[in-house]
Amino acid sequence: MKSNLSTRLALVLAMLGMVVAGLTGWYVYGASRDLLVQAAQSKLLTATRVMARRITATREELSRDLQLLALHPDTSVLLGVADPTARLRLEAMFGSLLTSNPSYLQVRLIGAQDHGLERVRVDRHNGLPLAIGDADLQEKGHFDYVAEALKVAPGQTYLSRIAINREAGVHAGEGLPTLVASMTVRDAAGTPRGVVVINIDLRSSFESMRMDLPETFHLFFANSKGDWLIHPDASLTFGFDRGQRHLAQDTMPQTAALLQGAGDHAVFETTLNGQALAAAFIASTPVVEMHDTRLLLGLAQPLKVVLADVTQLNATIWKILIAVGVACLLVAWVLARTLVRPLAQIGAAARQFAQGQVVGALPLSREDEIGDLARTFDRMQGALAQQLKALEDSQHELSTLARQDGLTGLANRRQFHDSLQSALAQRRRTGQVVALLYVDLDKFKLINDTHGHEAGDAVLLAVAQRLRANTREVDTPARLGGDEFAVVVAQAPEDAQLAALAAKLVEAVAEPIEWKGQWFRVACSMGIARTPADGETEEQLMSAADTAMYVAKQAGQGGFRFHGLHDGGGLQV
Amino acid sequence: MRQPGRRKCLVQLAGCGVAACGVPLPGWGATPPVLRVLAWPGYAEPEVVQAFERAHSAKVALTVVDSDDALWQRATSNGAADFDVLAVNTAELQRYVAQGLVSPVPADAVPNRRMQLPRFQDAARIAGLVHGGKLMAVPFTYAEMGLVYDRKRVRQAPDSIRALWDPQWQGKVLAYNGGTHSFTLAAQALGLSAPFRLRKQDWPGVVDKLIALRRNAAGFYGPPEESLALFQSRGAALMLANYGAQQLKLFREAGLDVGYAIPREGALAWLDCWAIMRKTPQLALAAAWINHLLDKPASEWLVSRQGLSNTTAEPLHALGSDKLVWLEPVEDDERRNRMWARIVSGDRAAKVIAA
Repeated sequence: MKSNLSTRLALVLAMLGMVVAGLTGWYVYGASRDLLVQAAQSKLLTATRVMARRITATREELSRDLQLLALHPDTSVLLGVADPTARLRLEAMFGSLLTSNPSYLQVRLIGAQDHGLERVRVDRHNGLPLAIGDADLQEKGHFDYVAEALKVAPGQTYLSRIAINREAGVHAGEGLPTLVASMTVRDAAGTPRGVVVINIDLRSSFESMRMDLPETFHLFFANSKGDWLIHPDASLTFGFDRGQRHLAQDTMPQTAALLQGAGDHAVFETTLNGQALAAAFIASTPVVEMHDTRLLLGLAQPLKVVLADVTQLNATIWKILIAVGVACLLVAWVLARTLVRPLAQIGAAARQFAQGQVVGALPLSREDEIGDLARTFDRMQGALAQQLKALEDSQHELSTLARQDGLTGLANRRQFHDSLQSALAQRRRTGQVVALLYVDLDKFKLINDTHGHEAGDAVLLAVAQRLRANTREVDTPARLGGDEFAVVVAQAPEDAQLAALAAKLVEAVAEPIEWKGQWFRVACSMGIARTPADGETEEQLMSAADTAMYVAKQAGQGGFRFHGLHDGGGLQV
Repeated sequence: MRQPGRRKCLVQLAGCGVAACGVPLPGWGATPPVLRVLAWPGYAEPEVVQAFERAHSAKVALTVVDSDDALWQRATSNGAADFDVLAVNTAELQRYVAQGLVSPVPADAVPNRRMQLPRFQDAARIAGLVHGGKLMAVPFTYAEMGLVYDRKRVRQAPDSIRALWDPQWQGKVLAYNGGTHSFTLAAQALGLSAPFRLRKQDWPGVVDKLIALRRNAAGFYGPPEESLALFQSRGAALMLANYGAQQLKLFREAGLDVGYAIPREGALAWLDCWAIMRKTPQLALAAAWINHLLDKPASEWLVSRQGLSNTTAEPLHALGSDKLVWLEPVEDDERRNRMWARIVSGDRAAKVIAA
């Protein structure tokens, strides 16, 4: 019972502790995860913006290169007349541009006349600049980088649609994702005379920019329709070139709004080949003339990497949870013991008290509710013990009163009866002889009538004292009522000794009695009955003793008679 | 407690079991069959594709082409095993048949053929559709290549394809980026008697004519939407409409005030058909696709959405057959396309002829 309660209490407390710790852990895990993802997305967004600025910077560098070419004196010369020296110089310059910019694929000067015939063209071929001869120069007037670029304001850059270059004879650029940038070359009057054009390898230029990004980052780039141009899965890029569409908004619906111009950034979680990613995308409208009115740039990072810390946290939370559980169990056990032990003490005290045993120690000195309980119990059991004692005393008194003669203190008739029965019962077991001495005072009524009841009572009291004084401890002298007395002799001796006892008693009663200066003398008649000669039952013995007493009284005052012995069986004192 | 090793073993065991049974995995978890379709813009509307995917528990991988050359490149690449079903015109079909790239269409598996107009049901009367008594393709849609023009600037409807070369429209002409058709067109413009069968002596003249077209052109387009974008951005006045009514509808819906004219030389006309690639592992699904595309919704969308004609109802404005020049197989597709790539890239005649 005791251990049960403490075990249960300990378990409940431990479980409560675990639940609280578990809930806290769960919440902390969730909150940390969200925080980490948010932090990663915010970091990704920043990185994306940095990337976008780098793209802008690259584009500005491209524009500066175009401007440099557009404003170069040889450019204007060559758009007017064929000047081999100027052409050589320009080819060298184009070549050095290709050398210094690994992502540049082609640098050209194209005239507005002659259907956009190329005037100077240097291609990248096997990694090196290759100046193209006259026969291989082409007419490009129908391409947007000439037709559209000629409409653009002076000094402005025109950017073509980013596509796979399908123009024949472009050397290294053939079949590569290409962005074509161009700028008009104007004469003194400001009339557009031609364009300078630079073809850029999109992948290599992005690749060089993403070098600074961590290894785990994925880079995304899409055009205004959402077609992937850069994607970790290269098979999804430039789908339109193969008659397929792989659109950003199809796999990442969050980018749809960006492409439509609603908002300029979005952060979200997405999946790529079953891998969960945290992603940040920004969309912007190019500040220069461009075929694409909106571009989408994004970075993503595997959630696994992002949540590496939280996985660590998860393990820590588990450790804390187990530690808290054990601690709770311990604390709960100690707590349960502190609580249950004093209760058990009080319980034991109550049991001992109920069994009438001495009550054990109680936690009386405690200051708490248990101390209160113990003190209250202690007071209660003190009060109860006192009351029990009083009850016992009064019971004893009552019992004594019920078995004593009120005047003389001798056994009354009931006690006499009990003693005789008890002696007879013992006789049946041991065979001892039981004798009954029946005593009646002679002429006692006279004293009562002459000197009053007070004198009579004094006489009766004296008689009683003498009967007690002259009988053994085992014998029971009793007052049967009025002036009648009797003595039960439990282990009666031989008749001769019995006779001696009777004679002693008759003589003792006959001694003078003093009462308030007066002397009284009373005699008594005594009848003796004994087993087995006079019977074996109370009635037989009483009757026999009574008869014998009458015989003694008739024979004269102050004597005794054995029952059944009429001659020499008695003594006249 | 993860036991990747054991798990892998279990997977392998399961795999062995399936392999031993020799049946594909049924029910959930089984990857649905993928039907690889090679088609032209507007032929397979998303709703049509989705309905097919639902009805046949299949996925459709759609690839769209915008030129016969692209169609040929895609269909024949990778051992001609990349596609199950394709849309090809009757003229182009001939080289697919000749090279054994397509298999006969199981006519029984295409019950919707009964919904077609009688002249399309009677395949034998359409040149090149039946080979060795076997139906090689099912007609789907057709159009003629008329001239689309800006009615505000081109006051009088052009009556000849020579309008494309008219210096009046220099830089305002849009042409189609397709080698086979362009050579036929140039031959027509030159008045050659057999525009599909260029003779040796015809080539230099045709090449010159095409270079002249390029010099008069503002640009070359592929799919219909590109033609619209170019028409608008370049401020074009005149365009050869390779997709015919499909482009007319598109332009008018974009708010352009354009007219449509059939040149007196006769408009080149094409009849596109569905054919099944010989190497397809799923002939039945390919036939089901053809049947699905002849069904009412697909046929109606072809007209209502794309402005194209279908084979189940007569067109609203039927042209006299004397105005149409149905495409025929050409003498050398490859040469035409090789040269065309050069022409479009801006090369001059010597370079083009050398190609």
